[in-house]
Amino acid sequence: MNRVAIVSALIAFLVGLSVATFSELRVFLPAILKGAVVTVQVSILSIALFIFLSVLAGIGRARGGRAIRWLSTIYVEVFRGTSLLVILFWMFFVMPEFGVTLSPMFAGVAAIGLNFGAYGAEVVRGAITAVPKGQTEATIALNMSPYRRMTRIVLPQAIAIMIPGMSNLTIELIKATALVSAVTLVDITYAAVQQNQLHYRTVEIFLITMMLYYVLAQFVRFGGEALEEYFTRHLNRRV
Amino acid sequence: MTHPMIQFDKVLKAYGALQVLKDLDFSVDKGEVVSIIGPSGSGKTTVLRVLMTLEGIQGGTMYVDGEPLNKMNVDGQLVDASKAHIRRIRSKIGMVFQNFNLFPHMTALENCNESPIFTQGKSKAEATEESMRLLDTVGLADKANHYPSQLSGGQQQRVAIARTLAMHPEILLFDEPTSALDPEMVGEVLEVIRNLAESGNYTMLLVTHQMGFAREVSDRVCFFDGGFMVEQGQPNDLFGNPQNERLKQFLSKVLEAG
Repeated sequence: MNRVAIVSALIAFLVGLSVATFSELRVFLPAILKGAVVTVQVSILSIALFIFLSVLAGIGRARGGRAIRWLSTIYVEVFRGTSLLVILFWMFFVMPEFGVTLSPMFAGVAAIGLNFGAYGAEVVRGAITAVPKGQTEATIALNMSPYRRMTRIVLPQAIAIMIPGMSNLTIELIKATALVSAVTLVDITYAAVQQNQLHYRTVEIFLITMMLYYVLAQFVRFGGEALEEYFTRHLNRRV
Repeated sequence: MTHPMIQFDKVLKAYGALQVLKDLDFSVDKGEVVSIIGPSGSGKTTVLRVLMTLEGIQGGTMYVDGEPLNKMNVDGQLVDASKAHIRRIRSKIGMVFQNFNLFPHMTALENCNESPIFTQGKSKAEATEESMRLLDTVGLADKANHYPSQLSGGQQQRVAIARTLAMHPEILLFDEPTSALDPEMVGEVLEVIRNLAESGNYTMLLVTHQMGFAREVSDRVCFFDGGFMVEQGQPNDLFGNPQNERLKQFLSKVLEAG
């Protein structure tokens, strides 16, 4: 009973809200959607960089020789231990001091990718370490090369283990893209703030902002679930 | 001149201060089937693990088919072996594990095909033909497309044996191959191992707790205790007329337990 009441109240609130704001939507929605395009661009590029760096540094830390393990550890500790916003400022405001000028998009993607890659490296390292030792021993007994061992045996099993953690970080990353507004990019959040200053429809504007982020997160969630299903298919099939 | 297929020359294996193998001298002739028995912690499994190069040793030399495994000859000097040298010698050895260690994301057939295709460079068709033949000899041709999670323990261990045979090893190492199995599955795995032993095609080293089986298939049985090979001999002598006091104790305990 209680649940029905809550759901009906919520639906009534949303219907009322949409009626009240319908006339205003066309005023501010296009600008926010344009911001959403920027958010999606920044997200896709930084997710690519994030995954690449996670796998590279994760393998480096789990299985690299001494030099590679050192480099990976330094990378992880530097970028995990410093604020994303400060890294972003370094990319955009400090690098020009050394003669390197980066576009806002490049600086944003690099900062986010480097920062989340450091977190992701630990997820990847944990997943690789979680693959049973017996698997590695079997590859030695079968005289497989270390490269084949990694690509054919360890990584395919590690991927299944790392997907929940990596999905989490990916969703976190999408929300963290809001920081790129600090280096002049007009993303969802920045567009919302601008539109609010112009139209003062605070509730509607930030409700839509929230919904947009939520929708983006759902793509990652379902993508992650599909990937997990794919990589664990051999465990689910029973006869 | 004939040389042993496997030879340990003063092999020392230690974990920190704990010496697991103490200057072990041990050899196995070509085609010989040797069982290793002993209490837990006696170093019997370690013999297989260091020979498979799953673990390094701290001293001594191991020879496979007359060639040093952990060392190599450079200008008449024995130096530490390169990875390439170890891989070349290691290709003669196959190992079957207590916990099977099948690749869970691959079917039985793919498990058998993996190394022939990616290590030995065989074509998929060629590898599949051979793998199917081997799965057939362990009685599992009809399970070729099953994943390990769909197979019983005994079936998984038989796939693991087929996978090992697909590499064409000359030496087969069995590390307690039936210890992780439910009792009713032990027989089917022992049957496969017995056939391999009787074929005479392989030099076999078997660590086992199945005393009856060891007595039946082995040419020689070795008793390990505390990092030393304490006694060895023909199965009937060793089981029927043990000399060493610790071996007598061990056998009476094991036979009491049934």
